[in-house]
Amino acid sequence: MPISLQINGETYEVNVPIKKTLLDVLRDDLALTGTKKGCDSGECGACTVLMDGKPVNSCIILAVDAVGKQISTIEGIGGIMELHPIQEALVAHGAIQCGYCTPGIVMSAKALLDSNPHPTESEVREGITGNLCRCTGYVKVVEAIMDVSRR
Amino acid sequence: MSYSVVGHSLPRVDAREKVSGNALYTGDMVLPHMLVGKVLRSPYAHAKVINIDTSKAKKLPGVKVVLTYEDTPKILWNSAGFPPSPGAILVEDQYILTNKARYVGDGIAAVAAVDEETAIQALELIEVEYEVLPALMNVERAMAEGAVLIHEAEKNIYGHTPVVIGDVDTGFADADFVFEDTYYVPKVNQVSLEPCGVSMAAPDIDGRVTIWTSTQMPHLVRSITAHALGLKTGQVRIIKPTVGGAFGSRLGVVNEPIAALLAMKVGKPVMLKYTREEAFLATESRHPMTMIIKTGVKKDGTFTARQLTSYIDGGAYATHTPSFAGPVAGWFLAMYKSPNIKVDNYSVYTNATQCGAFRGYGNPQVVFAVESQMDDIAIKLGMDPLELRLKNHPCAGEVWMWSGWVIDSCGFEECIASGAKAIKWTEKRNNGAKGRSSQGAKKRGIGMGYMMHVSGARPMLHETSAAMIKINEDGTANLIYSNSDCGQGAGTSLSQIAAEELGIPFTDVIITKTADTDVAGFDIGSHASRQTYSGGNAVKHAAAMAKQKLLEMAAEILETPVEELVVKDGRVWVRNDSPEEPSKSMSIAEVSHSAHFGSHGHQIFGAVSEEPPGNPPVYAAQFVEVEVDTDTGIIEVLRVVAAHDVGTAINPAVVEGQIEGAIQQGMGYALTEEYRYDQESGMPLNPNLSDYKILTSVDMPQIDTILVQATCPTGPFGAKSVGESGLVATAAAIANAVYDAIGIRFKELPITPERVLIALQNRDQKE
Repeated sequence: MPISLQINGETYEVNVPIKKTLLDVLRDDLALTGTKKGCDSGECGACTVLMDGKPVNSCIILAVDAVGKQISTIEGIGGIMELHPIQEALVAHGAIQCGYCTPGIVMSAKALLDSNPHPTESEVREGITGNLCRCTGYVKVVEAIMDVSRR
Repeated sequence: MSYSVVGHSLPRVDAREKVSGNALYTGDMVLPHMLVGKVLRSPYAHAKVINIDTSKAKKLPGVKVVLTYEDTPKILWNSAGFPPSPGAILVEDQYILTNKARYVGDGIAAVAAVDEETAIQALELIEVEYEVLPALMNVERAMAEGAVLIHEAEKNIYGHTPVVIGDVDTGFADADFVFEDTYYVPKVNQVSLEPCGVSMAAPDIDGRVTIWTSTQMPHLVRSITAHALGLKTGQVRIIKPTVGGAFGSRLGVVNEPIAALLAMKVGKPVMLKYTREEAFLATESRHPMTMIIKTGVKKDGTFTARQLTSYIDGGAYATHTPSFAGPVAGWFLAMYKSPNIKVDNYSVYTNATQCGAFRGYGNPQVVFAVESQMDDIAIKLGMDPLELRLKNHPCAGEVWMWSGWVIDSCGFEECIASGAKAIKWTEKRNNGAKGRSSQGAKKRGIGMGYMMHVSGARPMLHETSAAMIKINEDGTANLIYSNSDCGQGAGTSLSQIAAEELGIPFTDVIITKTADTDVAGFDIGSHASRQTYSGGNAVKHAAAMAKQKLLEMAAEILETPVEELVVKDGRVWVRNDSPEEPSKSMSIAEVSHSAHFGSHGHQIFGAVSEEPPGNPPVYAAQFVEVEVDTDTGIIEVLRVVAAHDVGTAINPAVVEGQIEGAIQQGMGYALTEEYRYDQESGMPLNPNLSDYKILTSVDMPQIDTILVQATCPTGPFGAKSVGESGLVATAAAIANAVYDAIGIRFKELPITPERVLIALQNRDQKE
């Protein structure tokens, strides 16, 4: 069915099957491949995007249910020319390894810091608990987010 | 020794593209007219295909090709990514698609269709009639008298690698005490966040096929895939884009032959992307092992005999397993000295998914068993466990039994000293008492585990690395390398080595982030913790060759003997000039520009293809503090101190990241992770991330890494390795800490709350 999606401040008109997930529409129809598919069942958080500012797993949300919402993806956070401070901190702390979970972590961290600019370490850990990472042990990820929160 | 680029925690070369979502992984790619591939998987763990009817699937609009066993080349192959070598025992026992399913998920048919939905519909239309056979889900059943054969191997045993040194019977007779224990470790999955099994194959008009694949080893995947397809190696081109984690899971062929066969049959590009469930069902994971360890020891802690008998559950196909048995023996042999050692490893087929490589390659299994027993021995002897380890480990100047070569550097004593101090070993240890102090039901304890690991695969495997440096006309350098970085940071470390050797800024080195077998020299890939040592040596030598040519060119221009010139900070200088007032100097850019466009007319290259000079072992001592809740059985790890001898840390942040991430996997191995099957039907019970639990950000404790840099004379700038070692000793350290907390020895992983509660109940009943 034809729908209109608000993504990163732009309007996209797409024609999608009713059961297609927001993740598949982002990746397949709009070539926004920065959002990753790690499980397709809401378990890993690699597909995290913001919906009206709140982090959601785009693999378990139908695209048709995103109509009327403001969607933010990694592509809307910072480009290669100008990274968001959260992204700069992750780079500076060496918090990125394979990078597959990274876009989702950036989105979760942004949602956290937007609502709670100076979280405790345990609040940071809670804030990214839905984002599985298999490379870092979360050590440098947590350090990076704490670093941004202190600025 | 201080360096200008090496030893600094510089930002990774691929961090910005990854953090911005711009990095392209294989699954992000699209080619014109690309089809989607899907695999029909056996619902039975062991079954013959009696009849298969694909006619309905073929008629479905949008379906372009349906393949079964009948369409596959009748060439047996083995998926393990090994170069032909003395230690590579490659039992060839699989076809691209099978007519006899040997595990739930075995590939029976494959389709390519215009989109995923059509491909899935096509699978549903394929009618298969099976003759179901008994499922043999563990080594005991598989080896039992009269068990059905999974392949043509007597008792389903297809490998036995005996190692005998001295005479263990004499050794046990000489001992004051003999310890014999049986340990079991489960199957665990690598769980790279990018699910294992993603490749895109595109045939070309000249009979070649290009495969973009998420792999650790482009060149070996090229040769195995070519063999499976009946092609020449040169007819296959492998391109490795960004890889979303590997940890051994991509150490060899995964699904490249299926994608390539589909693409070549239909004449169009095919993307074959496994789901998370398929990554569990149909790709290789860590070997479950039953290990019987027998140790004879004198009262003073001297070992008189050590013996390991292990049964390795290799799953449905041989892949790595018979070769893997070699390093397993090596890990055991090499940890502790003894005049008498015997190892018998048996490789056994079962109807579980085949097992392959997972970070550590058998070492976490062996170290869990050996280090658990070592603590029991220390307690029996009344010795400090640290003292028992320091008394018996091999040191610099001695032969390391894994390789048979002399150890050239050893930081183990410093690992022990610094780790023990950080965890407060003497103050906190209960010495096997049943839980000190603590608050009521919660008992605290500390424990440790020791390990040694490799920096490469020699002499088991031929270990070629190749590197080429091109000096551009502006003085920047391209580093062309078969860069198999899967996220660990090898590409960054290699770039630092090149920059340091060339004497140019780190940002002036441009490494090939994408590996391409049509471009880069032959390299055996990213495994055995070998990229920094083996690849680093090749890069350093290629850079040195280019630097020498630069100096020769500069010598001509500056009219100074070449031996008096040096390169530093992107410029050529006269060696003994005062830095404030140099007599003469010129930039690399000027030298290179002159090479290109002056009287010579050539670009300066440095290129090598070589084997590394050795395989230096690395050491680690990991210490943990745990709190065991005796009401719930929950074990909380409060702190991990990981002291690792890595040689020179080329990029300390990268090195720490390797250890920190590995500890998450090691803690999962100890406490939560087990890929399970129904023992009757062979059906997997938890092929998803809800039921297969990896640790989250709130589960992870404080981790303190201590880098002990016992530099290696043969390593690039003294580097050894770190890729795998971070998880090898973690489970043992946790098991030993749990013993320290509650006085119960767990010989089976994972140590779940249920197992803790049962063990506590059993003890209470006895008392």
